[in-house]
Amino acid sequence: MSIITIATTKGGAGKTTLARLILSRANLSGYKVAAVDADFNHTLTDWVTAVSKQPITVRHELDETKIVPLVGELQDEHDIVVIDTAGAASQATIFAIGCADLILVPVAPSAADIVEAIKTVNLIRSAGQMLRRELAVKVVLTAVQPGTNIAEHVEKEVAKANMPVFPTRLHRLVAFQEMSFTGIPPTSGLAGIQATNFLDELEALGALPETKKLAS
Amino acid sequence: MGKKDLANVTADLSALASMMPTQRTGAAVSTPAVREPAPVIKAVPAAVPKAERAGEGEEIIQFSLSLRKGLRKQLSRLADDADMTMRAFVLNALKVQGLDVYPDDLLDLRKERR
Repeated sequence: MSIITIATTKGGAGKTTLARLILSRANLSGYKVAAVDADFNHTLTDWVTAVSKQPITVRHELDETKIVPLVGELQDEHDIVVIDTAGAASQATIFAIGCADLILVPVAPSAADIVEAIKTVNLIRSAGQMLRRELAVKVVLTAVQPGTNIAEHVEKEVAKANMPVFPTRLHRLVAFQEMSFTGIPPTSGLAGIQATNFLDELEALGALPETKKLAS
Repeated sequence: MGKKDLANVTADLSALASMMPTQRTGAAVSTPAVREPAPVIKAVPAAVPKAERAGEGEEIIQFSLSLRKGLRKQLSRLADDADMTMRAFVLNALKVQGLDVYPDDLLDLRKERR
């Protein structure tokens, strides 16, 4: 059983794209997956119910008092629970962070994304102090345009802020954007390779369970 | 990786969460998990009409306290995360504890001095 929370106080950084990618690719790998959508825009809920054809359980929940019990309930029947949070600090985000085995903080190439990622990582560290355990957190660089000055600058700024970075960079690729319309996760081409690498590295971090409820 | 014990998450994080806004609709009339959510300072009007200014005219005093350097750093970081001054952050925490803290008390005085 694994709980992955995706959080940053900046909107548009790629939280829901990341959630879609993890849920759909993990399900293709045989994991039974569930999503908690704590974003008032309910984009992930709409995608799961109206676009994706995969067996993904999704619950839209904004009430911070219900986040932890809901995750507790979902973990009984699923291998992986992914929590997608709103693009702003809220009580729901704090509890979603507290539930997680791994917290992913997406950062798109903008100054505001970096500033909000730093705030989010600090918030996660504060939560870890209160829980008296270290919370595993990784910054995920999204919408990367390799070879550009801005990509290089973002890498430097993230390193300067001493934030732990996820090894795979997710490039600004059409296949990731198409997923929002088709519901089909990338399995080939550069996007497919990056998605595969991403899941492999999640596994290497111990963020994917060793056994699968759906394994056949 | 077995089932995760989430029993203490809500209790341990309630103090931190109480500094953040809620996403619940109708939160004012429903029962909160642990304590009443803190108001968002940005939502406090810059100028409160005179008739509504409770505590106006009351003498303002300086108050200092000693605390560990690490706590001071944590306070600074939490206030920064909540986009509040440390003064407003502390007063807001006191309000949660039931003290009579008025909207004027939470204004960012640095902006008035500029």
